[in-house]
Amino acid sequence: MGNQALQGIRIIDLSHSWAGPHCSRIFADFGAEVIKVEYVRRLCLLRGGRKDEKAYDKHVAWCQVNRNKYSVTLDLKNDKDHELLSDLIRSSDVLIENSRTGVMAGLGFSYEDVRQLKNDIIMLSMSAFGHTGPYASCSGYGAVMEGIGGIQSLTAYENSGKPLRIKELDITNGVAGACAVMNALFYRSRTGKGQHIDLSQLEAATHSLIGEHLLEFAMNGSCSLPTGNRHWKYAPRGCYPCKGSDKWLTITVRNQDEWQRFCEATGKMEWLTDKRFSNLESRRQNHDDLDMEITEWTKNKSPSGAMRILQAYDIAAAAVLDMEELVANSHLKKRGYFASVEDGEEKKIMGFPFSFSDSPGKVRWSGPELGFHNQFVTEKILGRPTEEAPSFSEDEVGTAFDPETE
Amino acid sequence: MQDTILKDIRVVDLTHFTAGPYCTKLMAGFGADVIKVEKPESGDAMRGMGPFFENQEDPEASIPFLWLNTGKKSITLNLKSNRGKNLFKKLIGQADFIVENFSPRVMPALGLSYETLNSINPRLIMVSIANFGNSGPYSDYKADEMELQAMSGLMHLTGDSLKSPLCSGPSLCQYSAGQHAYLAALMALFQRETTGKGQHIEISIQECSLENIEISLTRCLQTGQGARRGPHMMVPWGTYECRDGYAAVIAMPYRHWHHAVDLFKEPALYQEKFATLRERIKHRDEYENLLCPCVKSYKKKTLFNRGQQMGLSFGYVADLDDVMQSPQHQARGYFVGIDHPVVGEHKYCKAPFLSSLTDWKSAEAPLLGGSNSAVYSELFEYSEKEIKLLAEQGVI
Repeated sequence: MGNQALQGIRIIDLSHSWAGPHCSRIFADFGAEVIKVEYVRRLCLLRGGRKDEKAYDKHVAWCQVNRNKYSVTLDLKNDKDHELLSDLIRSSDVLIENSRTGVMAGLGFSYEDVRQLKNDIIMLSMSAFGHTGPYASCSGYGAVMEGIGGIQSLTAYENSGKPLRIKELDITNGVAGACAVMNALFYRSRTGKGQHIDLSQLEAATHSLIGEHLLEFAMNGSCSLPTGNRHWKYAPRGCYPCKGSDKWLTITVRNQDEWQRFCEATGKMEWLTDKRFSNLESRRQNHDDLDMEITEWTKNKSPSGAMRILQAYDIAAAAVLDMEELVANSHLKKRGYFASVEDGEEKKIMGFPFSFSDSPGKVRWSGPELGFHNQFVTEKILGRPTEEAPSFSEDEVGTAFDPETE
Repeated sequence: MQDTILKDIRVVDLTHFTAGPYCTKLMAGFGADVIKVEKPESGDAMRGMGPFFENQEDPEASIPFLWLNTGKKSITLNLKSNRGKNLFKKLIGQADFIVENFSPRVMPALGLSYETLNSINPRLIMVSIANFGNSGPYSDYKADEMELQAMSGLMHLTGDSLKSPLCSGPSLCQYSAGQHAYLAALMALFQRETTGKGQHIEISIQECSLENIEISLTRCLQTGQGARRGPHMMVPWGTYECRDGYAAVIAMPYRHWHHAVDLFKEPALYQEKFATLRERIKHRDEYENLLCPCVKSYKKKTLFNRGQQMGLSFGYVADLDDVMQSPQHQARGYFVGIDHPVVGEHKYCKAPFLSSLTDWKSAEAPLLGGSNSAVYSELFEYSEKEIKLLAEQGVI
């Protein structure tokens, strides 16, 4: 194995919550030195609300999303800390922030300010709606962008049912941000120039989730979604109850050949000659009847047992896995997906979203304790005397929620 | 015209359907020369999938194909013929990337494993995307989008707690994988600037998708605690019915939530027992029963605007018409008109993000084999006559 892909790259991470920190997590996993700047009086919400026994240092969400990072505590309204950050920027390649439009400028760290400190800096701004336009100053969490982006309107149990959320958008947006930074790093390696990226989380999520559906609407004036667990074209497609509480199997039959094999696999050869199910059109018309018949077949089987029966006939079928089942999943184990932390903690952790033949991902440590690297950053990175290192007292620490919220 | 990021980069694109094509769509948009290699006659199976423009079945009018293949060239090539394979290897000699999302057995069976391709071109970066990766007991399993959502924990977490798990409408697992594939490709390209060497990137759609639930999954790994679909943990945090649709009412930023008193004038909402988040979580139903009529009295955009004016992160559920008309999208030029010889000009989403020095290249998706003449004459110096002969012999 060779070096890590991002070795030698230093990133200052001023982002909070999930999307920005997820973006910098990927860089940290693949070798970049990510220095997370924290504000003691209002901690990142991933540190939770509790202060007792420094619960904010142990929060699972924090430890996962900020693994491999350095933590330094700075108050950017304080001149000395402002100067420390300026110094850090002078020695960095990338600056990541996801504040509301205008916040960075108010702190004296707009792109123009930052460029004065480091001419070829790459700055990624990932605000909710972008830095321009009538919504520029609005704030947004996932539920806001998912709604306003039209993403939410495409998922419901029935076509006219209540639109439901599909997931937080932070991963989609974090990865889009990481793509933007990689683009800019490559461009800098060829031209010597840095640049500013104005990423609108609304736009990035829309692009990478529903671009095809917006095009369908633009072309046809309508959209084939939502369809619940059914498909606008294939039949049968559904999620069927199995033996046990909240145990389910999904099945997708995409063409007549698969239908033939599905009937063989289930041993229901009579379905092949049943007029209600003989072709795609009739199966779509009689989907309710078909679902009842399929449920008769699934209801006394385990999801994984039924999945194996159907997969043996090359039918797309899957057990709906919950968290416990994923943790114990034999496929993921066999692939060596789950990892552990290199610093000796006995913690099981998630692995990496992709693997390179010649540049390993690594998890050296979990999300750091608040200000854990204050000394290191001051002395080793900035070369300043140890007494200049930031410090704080426990009384100053404030969380993003009521102190009793997990 | 500004510069593009990947202007000197050539991509040989063997992808089909969604995950692979989204990766190479991004490459084309950021300026790479993407040569999509399609099967003669039928091409990418997405051409036959639809939905189609004006609902007329036509391999040049499949809407997801038109979206996923903007800015690429298309050539046809029969990889099962020996002459086709030789042409393909010559193409590889002139490429920076090969991207493919066949099932894991296909490339080795064609005699086109990474080892073979790397021996032709040591600088080549190969990106392989498969549903469950190229190893492990599920590596040959068949899956459509719903099966991917089922096997990556997303489906278990989507929908109402009293109903079945729900598959989300958008193909989020496949798009997630395409996006991750682009990121990994750029990392390898960046590293090649110093090492001079290519490498092989392996993408499992299942493992990319797990990233979406990293917090729930890590919690279960470390504490054994599970997670289930249902309302968001925090209260209020979700979409509530209003006069003309649904509005998103989010109690964030937390420090500004008290301003909501000016919007929702129901005194019972401000009782001592609802004062903290923990208490609201404890009395979720009671609290939401009081809140719902207040939200219901508003129109969705009014509530969004009023909430935002108070510093609250409110939103609303837009339908696709709202999105196409969005003043924010219009102000930022998010939609771009692209003309296409078969379906005509329509509005497409442009770039996923804006960069100050580099631009996005907008161009239509290719007709099947539309660049045969150009590519085979430019890269292999074939004459028109020779190209015609290759087509007659079933090589291209």
